[in-house]
Amino acid sequence: MGPAQYMKALAELWGQGSQNFMAAQQSLLRDMAERFAKAGGRAPAGAPANLFDPAAMAQANEAFGRLWSAAAELSQTFARNFQQGKEPDPLVSGLLGRIFDPSAWFAGNEGMDAALNRLAQGPRLADMWNTERQMLAAFNAWTALRRRSLEHNTVMLEAWLQAASSFAKLLNEKADRKEVLGSWREVLALWVETANRVLLETQRSEPYLKSQRELLKASTDLRLAQQVIAEFYSEMFGYPTRAELDDVHKALTELRREVRALERAGRERPYREARRSVAAQPARSEEKPS
Amino acid sequence: MNEPGAPVQIKPEQAVAEAAELGQKLARGAELFAKLRDDEVKIATTPKDEVWRQDKVTLHHYRPLAPIAVSPPGLIVYGLIGRYTMADLQEDRSLVRNLLELGVDLYVVDWGNPTRADRWLTLDDYIDGYLDECVREVARRHKVDEVNLLGICEGGVFTTCYAALHPDAVKNMVLTITPIDFHADMEQNRLGHGFINLWTRSLAPEDIDRLIEAHGSLPGEFMGSVFSLMTPMRTLMKYNLDMLEVMDDDKKFLNFLRMEKWIADRPHHPGEAAKQWLKDLYQDNKLINNAFVINGRKVNLSDITMPVLNIFAKDDHIIPPATSQALGAKVGTKDYSELPLPGGHVGVFVGGKSQALLGSGIAKWLTERQ
Repeated sequence: MGPAQYMKALAELWGQGSQNFMAAQQSLLRDMAERFAKAGGRAPAGAPANLFDPAAMAQANEAFGRLWSAAAELSQTFARNFQQGKEPDPLVSGLLGRIFDPSAWFAGNEGMDAALNRLAQGPRLADMWNTERQMLAAFNAWTALRRRSLEHNTVMLEAWLQAASSFAKLLNEKADRKEVLGSWREVLALWVETANRVLLETQRSEPYLKSQRELLKASTDLRLAQQVIAEFYSEMFGYPTRAELDDVHKALTELRREVRALERAGRERPYREARRSVAAQPARSEEKPS
Repeated sequence: MNEPGAPVQIKPEQAVAEAAELGQKLARGAELFAKLRDDEVKIATTPKDEVWRQDKVTLHHYRPLAPIAVSPPGLIVYGLIGRYTMADLQEDRSLVRNLLELGVDLYVVDWGNPTRADRWLTLDDYIDGYLDECVREVARRHKVDEVNLLGICEGGVFTTCYAALHPDAVKNMVLTITPIDFHADMEQNRLGHGFINLWTRSLAPEDIDRLIEAHGSLPGEFMGSVFSLMTPMRTLMKYNLDMLEVMDDDKKFLNFLRMEKWIADRPHHPGEAAKQWLKDLYQDNKLINNAFVINGRKVNLSDITMPVLNIFAKDDHIIPPATSQALGAKVGTKDYSELPLPGGHVGVFVGGKSQALLGSGIAKWLTERQ
């Protein structure tokens, strides 16, 4: 594959992935507006719609999936070519790096995030739209998780490309030294060693640690947002909520702690008294005149 | 790929031979898989009896395998990440068996399976509560004032804190692969070593609070995934390359499965205790600075006045040696010694050379300090 082909494949990958994702989001927002209209009258400003649209979510997921598959396929092509011992063009590698810069890709989604945040954090109108607001918060958290996941995968993908490049370089160096790898096991061992080193270096890098931290935060936020909804329905149907159970468990833990302390004090009291009594005895005997 | 001058030159006959070998391995492996049942993959089989229980915590006494030659009895304390079964993985790779055969009277504490209901348990509860109860129970059963403590990994931190707070109850302390200075990983900065230290420091304290708020615990599978990250390619290749290497050998294959069983048995770490573990220790490094507080009392390492044997693995990527060795300069005893062993974090217990040295090294050291 020549530089032009790489460029074409990357442009397709980039364009198609982002278009699909944006289309899915737009469809979701359109659907929200339609549902508001059907529900009768105008919705208050900033009020959210019914956000559970499995088709749009599936489409967004699919867009991410396609993006990832295409990237993986591209990486494999890289690897295949490198394995044939062709020297990568540094100019092309640099260009690929810039095109693959995830910040450009995510810039397109910032407006969407802001809109969703405005919906989730808009002015409150007494009890109106509270459930929907909670649903929207969960959806927002889900969207954020997908985004953070994609960012993290991009860091990993870059590491993969770097590993493939290092692997190719090692093969070329072996060729220059007239060394050969005579079995697939040897080839695999070299790949594992190379990839492991690159992955470990990546894990110590700030971009990796940052994307992983953001991914962890996003997954935590989603779980907490889901718990808010679960609390709402538990209360509605008279089931104990997570918060109530946590309270009970906290009280139980504290009670057990107190029982342990009391038991220990009870055990130690006779022991302390006995020691005091032993300590006191010689003193009394010394008081007696011999 | 077999172009003249290309670095990868695999001859057709070589490829055929490799394929045939692979086919044989797969066939043999399939046969083994078919006849093996999960309950045949047993770990921690050394006979023992439950002698005490409180909440989910149980204390077990191992049945002797030789006349008792070392006193007082020893108590094995594993941490809340992973389970004590690592010390007794299989008959021919068992620290427990090795010690029993050398005449050490042994107990082990099992922390059980914490759930979200145990969210509020703190390290104070484990160290000054359950562990203290276990020590007293062992002492009561043997009519002694002091016992020997054998702490492993996070359990080593428990025993270190306990020994500093209750020096009169500990005769000798043996630590294995135990972190004391949680920032000492930066001293050597070896590639692939100390990732948990680095990763935890990269988090904000509120990230940890929210994680615990969301799950109520530090989920076992979550910690499992962090451990997997530490050996990325090993993890990726484990179920194809590594397993392929051993699957035509009954013994090696069973060893592989036993290790997998131990790895899969990863309990959840109670939430509040996890916050202390990650924030107070990994992030703020309070233990080495004598600033860690248990039940309102500062853990002062100079209060550790009993003999200490500190064992670490020279290639431990989870607990880098420097994080363990830092203890030496801080304890209040002159009888402090180190036993560096070859291998990694788990290899100390299951590696052929290390696990033999580990058992005999501990037994000899304890015997000299009865």
